[in-house]
Amino acid sequence: METTFPYEIPDREIYRYLGYRNALPDEAVLQKIALCKERLIKDVSPKAIWQYYDITWQDDTTLLLEGIPVRSQNLSRNIADCHRICLLAVTLGPAPDRYIQKAEVTAMSDAVIYQAISAAMIEAYCYHINGLIRKEAEEEGYFLRPRFSPGYGDFPLEFQRNIGDLLQMAKNIGITLTDSLLMMPSKSVTAIIGLSKTNSECKEAGCEVCNKSATCAFRRI
Amino acid sequence: MRQDLREKIKTDWVFCDGGMGTILQAKGLKGGELPETWNLLRPQDILDLHCSYLNAGATIFNTNTFGANRLKYPDNLEEIVVAAVDLAKKARIQCGREENAYIALDIGPTGKLLEPLGDLPFDRAVELFAEVVRIGAREGADLVLIETMSDSYEAKAAVLAAKENCDLPVLITTIYDEKGKLLTGGTVASTVTMLEGLGVDALGVNCGLGPKQMMPIIRELTEIATVPVIVNPNAGLPRNENGATVFDVGPEEFATYMEQIASMGVHILGGCCGTTPEHIAATIAKVKDKKPVVLSNPHVCRISSYCEALEIGKHPLIIGERINPTGKKVFKQALRDQNFEYILSEGLRQEESGAHILDVNVGLPEIDEPAMMEEVVTRLQSITSLPLQIDTTDIEALERGLRYYNGKALINSVNGKQESMDAVFPLVQKYGGVVIALALDEDGIPSTSEGRIAVAKKIYAEAAKYGIPAEDIVVDGLAMTISSDTDSANVTLDTIRRIRDELHGHSILGVSNISFGLPHREIINSFFFAMAMQNGLSLAIINPGNEPMMRAYYAYMALSNQDPQCNAFIERYAAVPADTVTAVYAPGATSTATSSNKELSLIGSIEKGMQESAIAAVQKELEKRDPLAIINEDMIPALDTVGKGFEKGSVFLPQLLMSAEAAKAAFEVIKDAMKDTKQESKGKVILATVKGDIHDIGKNIVKVLLDNYGFDVIDLGKDVPPEVIVDTAIDQQVEVVGLSALMTTTVVSMEETIRLLKEKKPGTKTVVGGAVMTQEYADSIGADCYAKDAMATVKYANSILCPDSL
Repeated sequence: METTFPYEIPDREIYRYLGYRNALPDEAVLQKIALCKERLIKDVSPKAIWQYYDITWQDDTTLLLEGIPVRSQNLSRNIADCHRICLLAVTLGPAPDRYIQKAEVTAMSDAVIYQAISAAMIEAYCYHINGLIRKEAEEEGYFLRPRFSPGYGDFPLEFQRNIGDLLQMAKNIGITLTDSLLMMPSKSVTAIIGLSKTNSECKEAGCEVCNKSATCAFRRI
Repeated sequence: MRQDLREKIKTDWVFCDGGMGTILQAKGLKGGELPETWNLLRPQDILDLHCSYLNAGATIFNTNTFGANRLKYPDNLEEIVVAAVDLAKKARIQCGREENAYIALDIGPTGKLLEPLGDLPFDRAVELFAEVVRIGAREGADLVLIETMSDSYEAKAAVLAAKENCDLPVLITTIYDEKGKLLTGGTVASTVTMLEGLGVDALGVNCGLGPKQMMPIIRELTEIATVPVIVNPNAGLPRNENGATVFDVGPEEFATYMEQIASMGVHILGGCCGTTPEHIAATIAKVKDKKPVVLSNPHVCRISSYCEALEIGKHPLIIGERINPTGKKVFKQALRDQNFEYILSEGLRQEESGAHILDVNVGLPEIDEPAMMEEVVTRLQSITSLPLQIDTTDIEALERGLRYYNGKALINSVNGKQESMDAVFPLVQKYGGVVIALALDEDGIPSTSEGRIAVAKKIYAEAAKYGIPAEDIVVDGLAMTISSDTDSANVTLDTIRRIRDELHGHSILGVSNISFGLPHREIINSFFFAMAMQNGLSLAIINPGNEPMMRAYYAYMALSNQDPQCNAFIERYAAVPADTVTAVYAPGATSTATSSNKELSLIGSIEKGMQESAIAAVQKELEKRDPLAIINEDMIPALDTVGKGFEKGSVFLPQLLMSAEAAKAAFEVIKDAMKDTKQESKGKVILATVKGDIHDIGKNIVKVLLDNYGFDVIDLGKDVPPEVIVDTAIDQQVEVVGLSALMTTTVVSMEETIRLLKEKKPGTKTVVGGAVMTQEYADSIGADCYAKDAMATVKYANSILCPDSL
């Protein structure tokens, strides 16, 4: 099969985004998922860019990146003791948005399925890129901290603009920002990854750091 | 005196400069620092950079204005651009190149994505570029070079801005990835088709890739372009070295590739990221003593969408005619109600049925046709990849359609009347397009093929005055009913044949016109269609949902050896069971709702979310029961069961929506049956995704369910300003307003909307939802209800608008 997406997409994640917690979708829904997945896999154009920077700390909760002060307790905790970070931006390109928009006219049930699959795909792609970065970091004797994105906790969303400028995100991989700092294409992720000389055991970030996790219907169990 | 650049680029070597950003970085420009500020802060560095390229031999060199636009320089744009052109002029004098170097006003992308995918309106994009063009042209730039464009729509905005605001030559290069695609999906062919239509003087590729990786793209460019091609590669692919971006291809290697590229028919050569004056000098040294290879590609009739180009004349193609109110009551009502969902779904249905092009006709006396044309074209092109045909007699609507179209459109139509040609051809000249020419003029419709051919020739000649090539004209042979003149099919077919054989042109027919007034028209239509194709018909305007027509098409393609191995025919018909080869083409008949389910009751069909069986069941029920009884006794209970299941967690979102879709399909059938009875609504509900937010999937889920439960939903769409919501609530006396927001940044607009509603229309109930919403959050912004999911909104609307039903 023609594919632009050779990465493993965990079905469980798709089901979870669709609101199935422990249950499995029925045959009709599974068929729809398979069909939508086939289309997405053929049409997405995953692209990523990342860049390493040395950072300095102004105080416990403020770091300086290329002269830009970033104040955030949550981020600072996440990358405490790091003096080097990786800035990362990844996207699936505009195909998921187009499929979702189209399905919103023809069948909303397809729209939510495209939405769920592409959400699982961008995660899977991040995981893959994260692995590449880990390899590069390990060669230099660094360990990675979990990905941390603008908007997590008190890490200001405004930092999206800085990431956009530093990585030349629009030109290089086509991620643009709206005036309200949403990313377009919507299936895009930006993040800071801390590089540390010490190996600290920590889980993948995600539900664990989200302040809505207690009430969220889509949280991982 | 410098040679006219428009002439020079046709045959002579023209060398562009190389990397600018990468060299400024080497001079100390920080990541995230705006390069154009150096025009003011470090002018000597910019001057030196220009001189280094001029001394290397560049013919065209770029002002340092790549990112200069009002978004990035809200306060001092003018100053930045004036300084940039001034530095370029100084450099040219300093290097003694007054006579033979050209200053290119460099224009890069805005960094924003255009509507409807993004939030930058097309007009705003044009204005952002226009401002820079006006300043640059005034200050003395010799040409406009638009570069690194990764979105065809933004490229179009930039070209229009350049053309509308100066008379300078316009050159443009776009950035393709290793698969030969723009970031927004355009191909080489679709991009070239659109840009040539817009009248650029040269086009090509820059950035993204090194010369080696660009080869397949360059090959395609040189195979189809009819204007000179520009190639400005990076010095290889970027590589990360100790945190710095480096490019590996040195000047000699680069020049060797460029020499090869030149031999493919490219004589406008330069570089992009990572290239240096040495790269340019080495390239010039390699090629300058050779004779440039000049392309001589024939002009081919092509139209395009954002992502595909379609050649006309190679094989017969189908234009779907259903987006047209003529004779369609429901469509007319949809236009009056601005029911875009209905209009768009007509388009998508035709795409599914096998249309290659979609006709867009939204003319109705009582509506604002230009505005409607703009709206439908922009919405349609964001969800279909098919090229569009702009079909209108209103010249303003035609211009709006062409302006906002993301590609090169088919235009329906011009005719041999001087008045028509005077109005239409200037628009074709400006925006590009393939235009349908009706073979009639002031003397009416010629009754012979000679007469029609003569009119066609007249139209070709007039078009040529505007520089519109004969290939961009498709002649309508005019199908007229045989019921009033039994010779008319012969005349039409002869006209089609002569357009092909004598004019070597392309032809089109509104096929079904042939049978007006006759019974079972598709019998005549489908045979006439096959005969017309046999006589050389290039384009057919038909209803692709009409199976006899599609059969004629697929059969003709197979019979005329235009369907390799009969693949398309087999793919379409192999799986269709013999007993369903009827007048209705139903590709999904065998797969989605399997025949074993056909016996399901209406309740069962809705609960299981099976549309087709729901339709079948409701049709059966209507034979024996009252429509209202079916709604109250079957449909509502079925929806309730599913809704309750969803609340309990035993039914999940996809099923909930599939049930809603099945119910909706059944409702349509019932509505049809109850045409004459006035239908009761439970009341009006406004839904909107608030200002700043462009993700409206959540809102749309809610809409489907509210529709289902009998509410009259006024869907204001996404990115809706508070005032619009409030004004609508007041005008239409709406009691319940549902607001959706995805991000904390847009909840602010939600709060503002609620505040304004309380002030201007006190008593209106607000219900809010969205990814970041919580009960506390909803309380804090003064919402009346927090809906954790779509069913919660239905419940709330019920509790306010029809408390008795609970």
